[in-house]
Amino acid sequence: MKTINLKRVLKSTPLLALFFLLTASVIFQSCAELDIDPTEFDLPPESFGSLEEMDKGIGGVYSQVTLAARMTTFYAPAWAGDDMTTHRALNKADFREFDQRTVLSSNNRLLRNWNAIFDAINAINGVLERSEGLLGLETIDQDILGRQIGEAYFLRGVLFYQLARVHGRIPLPLTKFPDPEISRSSLTEVYGQIESDLMASIERLPNVYPGVLPGAPRPNIGSAKAFLARLYMDWAGFPNNDASKYALAASTAKDVMDNAGAYGFGLVDDLETLWTVAGRFNQESLFTLAYCKGCPNNSLGNRKFSRLGLPADLGGWNETFAEIKFFEDFPEGPRKEATYRTELDWQAFNAQKSPVFKKITGPPGDLNPGDFITIRNDFLMRYAEILLIYAEASGLSGNVTPDAWEALNKIRRRAAGLPYATPDAGVDVTTGDIADLAFTERKWEFAGEYVRWFDLMRREKVAEVLSVRDNVSGAVPEHNPIIGSLETSNYLAPVPADAVARNPNLAN
Amino acid sequence: MKKQFLKHLKGSLLLGVFFALLSMQYANAQQSVTGIITDETNQPVPGANIVVQGTTNGTQTDFDGNFTIEASSTDVLVISYLGYATQNITVGNQSTINVQLVVDASQLEEVVVIGYGTAKKSDVTGAVAQVSAKSFEDQPLTTVQDALKGRAAGITVAGSGQPGEPVKVRIRGVNSITGNNDPLVVVDGVFGGDLSTLNPNNIQSMEVLKDASALAIYGSRGSNGVILVTTKKGSGKAKVTIDQFVSFATVQKRINTLSSAQFAQLENDEFIANPVNNPANAPYSAATIANFEANPISYQDLIFQTGVTNNTQVSVSGASDDNLRYFLSGNYIDQEGVQITSGYKRYSFRSNLSKQFNDKFSLAANVTLSREITNNNANSFSNGDGSGLLRAITWDPTAGVRDSDGNYILRSPREVANNNYNPIRRLELSDDERTTDRLNLTLNAMYKLTDNLSYTLIGSLSTANANTEYFRVEGDFEATGFSNIGYNNFRSTSHQVSNILNWKKEFGKNNLDITGVYEFQGDRGLSNGYNVSDLNVGGLYLADNSNAENFFNSGNQSAIQSYLGRLQYNYDSFLYLTGSVRIDESSRFAKDARTGTFPSGALALNFANKDFIQNSDTFSALKFRVGWGKVGNQNINASARFSTNDGAGLYTFDGVNSNTGEVQVQEGNPGLTWETTTQTNIGLDFGLFNNRLSGSIDYFNKDTEDLLLQTIVPGTSIRTFINAGEVNNKGIDFSLSANIIDNDNFSWNATLALSKIKNEVTKLNDDKEFIVGNAAGIGGGGIRLNVIKVGEPIGTFWGYDYLGTWKTTDNIPTDVDGNQLFQPGDPKFKLDENNELEFNTIGSGLPDVTFGFNNTFTYKNWDLNMFWNGSLGFDVYNEAFGTISGNGGNRSNLSPEVYDRWTPTNETDIPKAGTANLLNTSRWVEKGDFVRLSNLKIGYTFNEGVIKGISSLQLYVSGQNLLLITDYSGFDPEVSSQVRSFGGESANADAGAGIDIGAYPTPRTGVVGVKVTF
Repeated sequence: MKTINLKRVLKSTPLLALFFLLTASVIFQSCAELDIDPTEFDLPPESFGSLEEMDKGIGGVYSQVTLAARMTTFYAPAWAGDDMTTHRALNKADFREFDQRTVLSSNNRLLRNWNAIFDAINAINGVLERSEGLLGLETIDQDILGRQIGEAYFLRGVLFYQLARVHGRIPLPLTKFPDPEISRSSLTEVYGQIESDLMASIERLPNVYPGVLPGAPRPNIGSAKAFLARLYMDWAGFPNNDASKYALAASTAKDVMDNAGAYGFGLVDDLETLWTVAGRFNQESLFTLAYCKGCPNNSLGNRKFSRLGLPADLGGWNETFAEIKFFEDFPEGPRKEATYRTELDWQAFNAQKSPVFKKITGPPGDLNPGDFITIRNDFLMRYAEILLIYAEASGLSGNVTPDAWEALNKIRRRAAGLPYATPDAGVDVTTGDIADLAFTERKWEFAGEYVRWFDLMRREKVAEVLSVRDNVSGAVPEHNPIIGSLETSNYLAPVPADAVARNPNLAN
Repeated sequence: MKKQFLKHLKGSLLLGVFFALLSMQYANAQQSVTGIITDETNQPVPGANIVVQGTTNGTQTDFDGNFTIEASSTDVLVISYLGYATQNITVGNQSTINVQLVVDASQLEEVVVIGYGTAKKSDVTGAVAQVSAKSFEDQPLTTVQDALKGRAAGITVAGSGQPGEPVKVRIRGVNSITGNNDPLVVVDGVFGGDLSTLNPNNIQSMEVLKDASALAIYGSRGSNGVILVTTKKGSGKAKVTIDQFVSFATVQKRINTLSSAQFAQLENDEFIANPVNNPANAPYSAATIANFEANPISYQDLIFQTGVTNNTQVSVSGASDDNLRYFLSGNYIDQEGVQITSGYKRYSFRSNLSKQFNDKFSLAANVTLSREITNNNANSFSNGDGSGLLRAITWDPTAGVRDSDGNYILRSPREVANNNYNPIRRLELSDDERTTDRLNLTLNAMYKLTDNLSYTLIGSLSTANANTEYFRVEGDFEATGFSNIGYNNFRSTSHQVSNILNWKKEFGKNNLDITGVYEFQGDRGLSNGYNVSDLNVGGLYLADNSNAENFFNSGNQSAIQSYLGRLQYNYDSFLYLTGSVRIDESSRFAKDARTGTFPSGALALNFANKDFIQNSDTFSALKFRVGWGKVGNQNINASARFSTNDGAGLYTFDGVNSNTGEVQVQEGNPGLTWETTTQTNIGLDFGLFNNRLSGSIDYFNKDTEDLLLQTIVPGTSIRTFINAGEVNNKGIDFSLSANIIDNDNFSWNATLALSKIKNEVTKLNDDKEFIVGNAAGIGGGGIRLNVIKVGEPIGTFWGYDYLGTWKTTDNIPTDVDGNQLFQPGDPKFKLDENNELEFNTIGSGLPDVTFGFNNTFTYKNWDLNMFWNGSLGFDVYNEAFGTISGNGGNRSNLSPEVYDRWTPTNETDIPKAGTANLLNTSRWVEKGDFVRLSNLKIGYTFNEGVIKGISSLQLYVSGQNLLLITDYSGFDPEVSSQVRSFGGESANADAGAGIDIGAYPTPRTGVVGVKVTF
């Protein structure tokens, strides 16, 4: 039992408490910080203030282009060509739809390609808008600025082109944010825009971009002119059918040939070196998308090669195979050896009896067969194509010159394993329909390079070629027979249903 | 005036001295009074206060309840003890006064915490559901969410079986699919608590504020509902409680897929059917298939384990004789996940101390400390091709984990089924450990300025540090980029200061209670870390050896300040009126859009004291409530109103070095403002048969305007936050509690909580019909699985309407050249007038009805608890099933439906072989309705005194999730998959409500436990 002097406690505690509360209130009460510091965040400038910002912006564009191009998705429509096919089953239905000419608007590759390309185009439009404030400023090196703007135009032109070849009429967003209800432009507008973008880049790009490896990992005037020549080839054929463009294609290609030295372009001696790791930067590539290994998160690996082109028998993913008839028809020689893995007994494969592209897998020992992420580069266009465009366009525009024959013959000589610059009566041709000869030469030269389908389309040879595609001579039949229509009405792919659902104007 | 006041003061002082002298006089004629104070069970009460009324003369009882005090015969002894009614006893001629204390009736009446104060349950005007410790202490719990589940109407709790994973709690539906829908958790007056880190054993009660009249005082944070958590305080004698249980969790269900032998046989059949193949080369020999028959390989068996959990809980509580109340609690949980190598540990400590210094001043300090360690959380791994579990389900059933030499089988030898690396190896080799330390300090000081006016100051500081160290092996060491070492640190600090002024007064039958609050809060989060790749040995110190290094850094900061006024009035405990206004200013919005005003009003009529109730044999309580109010939501990123770049756009020009460019990933919206929800609530509380049957029913209608939505700028992948439109939630909450049987030996108490809710997007701004959502499909197909569409529930599934297959007899549409657009055997989807595929809404993951039914039976010393819950009227987008049928990373069809595929001779509705298997179609939408036996527990409590020194001993066994009744074909329709979203975007859990990408299933759990109180 104890007695507490409550009086004393009562006397002191309230005072203490009040004192405590007052002190605490004063210490605690500061105002809330409602205007937070925006430098906490990575805010994009409304307008670039320096070349460093411009450089970061262009870098961002390249990252978007790389993301769009790193997978086979970028080229999935090319599976329609008679040069390539895919596995008959497994999860390759998206590719089979192209291969068998039954492309649906639900095709996922189509949608992903559409989205990825417009992501990159939007990034370009943002950079172009933000760079306007730097134009003409004395404090800014206008040469550097100009060539970066030129790069932006070049990439936009190339991306519009990539999509236009697949869908024909496409929307043409040219502002930082597209009109939400944008419609598809007419074919003339689409091709005109690509032309104007490439022209704009030609005005601004240097002959050779300073400080880069061979093969134009950053584009130069020659790259832009080369794509322009290709554009004119397409423009002259399906679906525009403006034959007057053949002359432009020829003259533009000739321009690139005449200035090839200045642009740093030319043929490599040995075709096979192009599809090796050692040869990934070379003078034959007119515009190279570079990839690297060990760059963070694998996002800069090229996912189109090695394992993608092998059958499961060899640990591969059965995605990119060669068509049997095309392989059978392919003229024997060094070019066939550089194109296919002829040492493999493909008829003994159990996963699928299809030939294998060396262009995809690389020669034995070059790439790890288990890798689907590789450091092989993409050549969006090769110098060989400029030579063949010149030859074909010369024929189609009725202005065949000795240079045109020489251009064609260079490719034929190299294909035969001969020095390409030295005339050789054994392989050279100087008579006949140069347009057809060049067209056929392209068939073999660019087999497995996602080119053939677009050639068949522009020259309206789809029915002629694909109707006999399945007529193999050996015991192994074609795995994915043609199902769909081979008429021109079925050439172009539909706009993805998902894109139409969001913007119904794209349906028209 | 001033002079006059001083004069009065002088006068009072004199008066005071006079009385003091007077009392001294009385003190002269004193006698000694002794006695013993006991409680209602006749146990002596130590530390009870005995004071002579009007004096400072007082004493306390000793340990045996005895006291002695000097008092005169006219003195009145005031005997008080916390929790008991104060008694006044005139001494008279007694020299011995023994007193039996009676439990304070006013404390018996349930007190409900209403935010910035408390109220008697009978006085509450809003829709408030209370979940007290009593209702869940019968169930062995490791998380608070389990305590809430099904115990209050209007609350849905969707669990993940994954230990340590936050669980989704929703109050009256879902308003937003961008902003977080988690209710605000207020622990002892402090905002921003995290239910998953709270120890349920520390909780005294949880009040769930549901309607706007109750919520409006939380203004901008109130729109998702508020859960007020009150932690335990000590009282009475010192008490030590030890609660220990061990549980065993298993997943019994298996998804139906082709067995090893079936798959091998089908592969052989397909091989042989192709005439170019030599049947002798068929991939599997007869002996191999026979062996598969005898010893099937099931990756579902391999990835699951029995998860053992140990839970130890110790608490010490009581009150000392000088009014210091203490509650100390420690808890240790060691939980193994049902997925191999996953686990969770939590150490937590709480100290709640409070002291009533005198009748004016009290101070409470609550401190919590915890450490949580999560290992190999399933969501830490890449889920691009579906969850790790789904990868296991779809992995090649003809390849084991290891070959005959004991080496891992890295990839499917025949490159069939899942194209990812062995899912078991991935878990066995990886070590991902996340450690989170939290410290929270809360100080609550109250000072009574006058009898009517009090001031409360609540200050709180909390900090959390979360470190993740990982070595993740996603694939082949030989290949590039499949092993990663990383370290990530996230630190957040937050503070809150609330000043609460409360004035209460009775004027006859009029009672007035006015509260004013000024409050501000701020938080800051900082995260940084790095990851490196291509190191094949774990160990952070090795990170320097990698060539591929990636560093990252990000910060987040926000603040809010608020003013609140509330007036509560009641007349004669019959008419109740409440009105409040809160004004919030938030840094998340630009200056012009920053301030939100949130008013509310409520009226209640309590008929309990009216004659017709008092005289009724049936009705024992009846209360009618109606309330209206506005609440807001600001749950978006602190950076939402700005445009932002991602400075991690990687590119290379030389093929060796990577550079980073800037890509705009977010477009700012300076006009972004509060999401505002206006809610009307009409409710009725009733009691029947002397309250043996009681319940309440509430109708509510919630309109959410300026819905905060993260979407993309049309035609781009750039995210932006907009105020998108309006969403309506309306429904009914019903709860009923009954003491069905109440005998001395046997009792049966049952509680039913049921909610019906309808969610609908009523308007989208700019006359848009729909906005495509953020939930991405498996396998990166660019598809989005949900949509916000007018007239549909928010987060409705989005895709193609599956109508079976095209038959040979069908009139298949053709193109201009007359070619058929589809072939017989192709999947048939709904087409538009141009024969183009049409996107449609194809189901909703939000249930119409959820319910919980809790039963407690006691028979003598035995008790039995049975808790059922369920949800009805919702769909599940079973992406997992779609993937099993061949999609995402799965190249083969592993579904038994393969036997029933369309062929020219058997035209079924399962598409023929080789057609594109789309995941965004209604083919994968299933009904999710389910009823679950959540808890079944049998306990035995030993009578007191059976064991000396132990006041209570209970032994129990229980089972959770013992029975699941559903037609859903996956593991569990109550899915909580982590939602996949596209790069740079994020989707909240409700965007993916009902989307199953291989969710971690809720296991079946058996528990054995003991609870001892000393």
